[in-house]
Amino acid sequence: MATLNTNSVAQTGNNPFLKVVAALSNLSGWIAASFILLAVCVTCQMIFVRFVLNQSTIWQTEFVVYLMIAATLLGLPYVQRLRGHVNVDLLPIMLPQAARKTLAVITLLLGIVMMGIMVFYGFEFWYEAWSRNWRSDTVWGVRLWIPYLAMPVGLILYMLQLIADLVALLQGIEKPFGIEGET
Amino acid sequence: MDPLTLGGIVAIATVFVLFSGISVATGLLVVSAVFLLIFDGLRSLELLPEILFGKLDNFALLSIPMFIIMGASIASTRAGADLYEALERWLTRVPGGLVVSNLGACALFAAMSGSSPATCAAIGKMGIPEMRKRGYPDGVAAGSIAAGGTLGILIPPSVTMIVYGIATETSIGRLFLAGVFPGLLLVGLFMIWSLYSTWRHGSAEVLAKRSYTWRQRFEIMPRVLPFLLIILGVLYAMYGGVATPSETAAVGALLCLLIAMIIYRLWSPAALWTVLRDSTRESVMILFIIAAAGVFSYMLSSLFITQAIAEWIGTLDVNRWVLMGVINIFLLVAGFFLPPVAVILMAAPILLPIIIAAGFDPYWFAVVLTINMEIGLISPPVGLNLYVINGIAPDISLKTILSGSIPYVACMVIAIILLCFFPEIAVWLPNAVMGAAI
Repeated sequence: MATLNTNSVAQTGNNPFLKVVAALSNLSGWIAASFILLAVCVTCQMIFVRFVLNQSTIWQTEFVVYLMIAATLLGLPYVQRLRGHVNVDLLPIMLPQAARKTLAVITLLLGIVMMGIMVFYGFEFWYEAWSRNWRSDTVWGVRLWIPYLAMPVGLILYMLQLIADLVALLQGIEKPFGIEGET
Repeated sequence: MDPLTLGGIVAIATVFVLFSGISVATGLLVVSAVFLLIFDGLRSLELLPEILFGKLDNFALLSIPMFIIMGASIASTRAGADLYEALERWLTRVPGGLVVSNLGACALFAAMSGSSPATCAAIGKMGIPEMRKRGYPDGVAAGSIAAGGTLGILIPPSVTMIVYGIATETSIGRLFLAGVFPGLLLVGLFMIWSLYSTWRHGSAEVLAKRSYTWRQRFEIMPRVLPFLLIILGVLYAMYGGVATPSETAAVGALLCLLIAMIIYRLWSPAALWTVLRDSTRESVMILFIIAAAGVFSYMLSSLFITQAIAEWIGTLDVNRWVLMGVINIFLLVAGFFLPPVAVILMAAPILLPIIIAAGFDPYWFAVVLTINMEIGLISPPVGLNLYVINGIAPDISLKTILSGSIPYVACMVIAIILLCFFPEIAVWLPNAVMGAAI
């Protein structure tokens, strides 16, 4: 079932590593949420400038899109912590406990490796824009390394949260796939 | 390797990976990366972050978090209950006013939120206990809300329609309009079934009319009027050519937040944070799937799979309605397991050329596709809405919710059939308002 658990949060137990990662993910989530709120306000400001003051807008459209992208990338670790990324958990529910745990370890490892690859190339993507001082080809001409920064930062925090989930799973702090009870 | 065979292997691998329980977005990235690595070499991985970023770099996508905030801020208040109460007080001449009002409130709420689970939760929290208290059968109480909630993705604004519009490069405004009459058709079918089922259960007396004084009717209006005005404002802004969906959505989001704060006194930072947190969670989840599905479709087209499938279907000499039937079954099955957004993003770019080549209207198809996804929302094993209902009415067994929902699935199938015979139900309004599509 593609379930959305609305009230669950990753457990940290007494593990200092898990607590640090949880704090980082929370911080990242707060930043993401405030970016979304800021995007709402800036878009409204843009409409006010354009339709009420009848002036043209220069930076707003680009700015809010970058805010949204940054919110998405920085929100990844937080949403992972809130168990908000949907998955199909039909098979895990049907499996016995031991197999379910093995499957959970495999999927987390897959996720970690995938994010590792993305972090590596994401950093390159950012570094290229930074070292060559790329600017967007718009009137505003923002330095692209600034919006691109969300890519390596968000993905590395997401990877950290996945690693923390793996640690919590292996230490028995978290149930595999967050599924309660025996089957 | 022949791209068509490769496509088959990709499909099997995708099903396999997604069923492992990995998150949908990460799963799509993994499948894309593996196939790109094998068939295009290591260098193709370099492009992944750029594609991921590029897929999100779209102003139209901004409407998704905005509409989600709009829905979440209203859902955090008792506006849902106020809506059906107001409807019930005014619809006293209608038998079974309560279930009719609840379904009407679902439709209205859907017109503000764009999300099905949000609609379900907002109306169901108060609506289900109230219906049961007044003697409606549990199956009808739960099923009507589960089904009414699915309207969230059909009646505009709808997040799935936005995603379809972006995936297929069709007009979001036109898609929204195409959803209006089919949405109303569904509401009508749902109402008919609810009334019939309640009557058949021998609960005829609960259908009896209630009367309200004019005072009672008017005193509730200040709490629902602002929301109705926002709906009208949003529609005006979008179709009066004033603003794009994203801009309209931003204004709608800000207004709904302010109304929730002023009329429903949602002042405390904790309550506001809950709205913001829930919106962030849902937006990030959807946007990440969009970005990952973008990478996935890049992989499909750079390995020539998309093109090969379209060509292959073109050579199949089948009746267009057989083709439509097969596509519907495919969508239905996909919708049973995957969230609507993921199905649309993966299927729409492949299916659209086929649909157009077969002479179907892409806006009509969007509606049919969305109703298919709605069925997935109230059928096992995914059935997100069933679990929402289970969460807000824990003492109704999942079995009752399920059996209560099945007749509503039948209503949706009837709606799809009606749409096949009378495509005008979907395409008349957009053509009338925005001129014929090219």
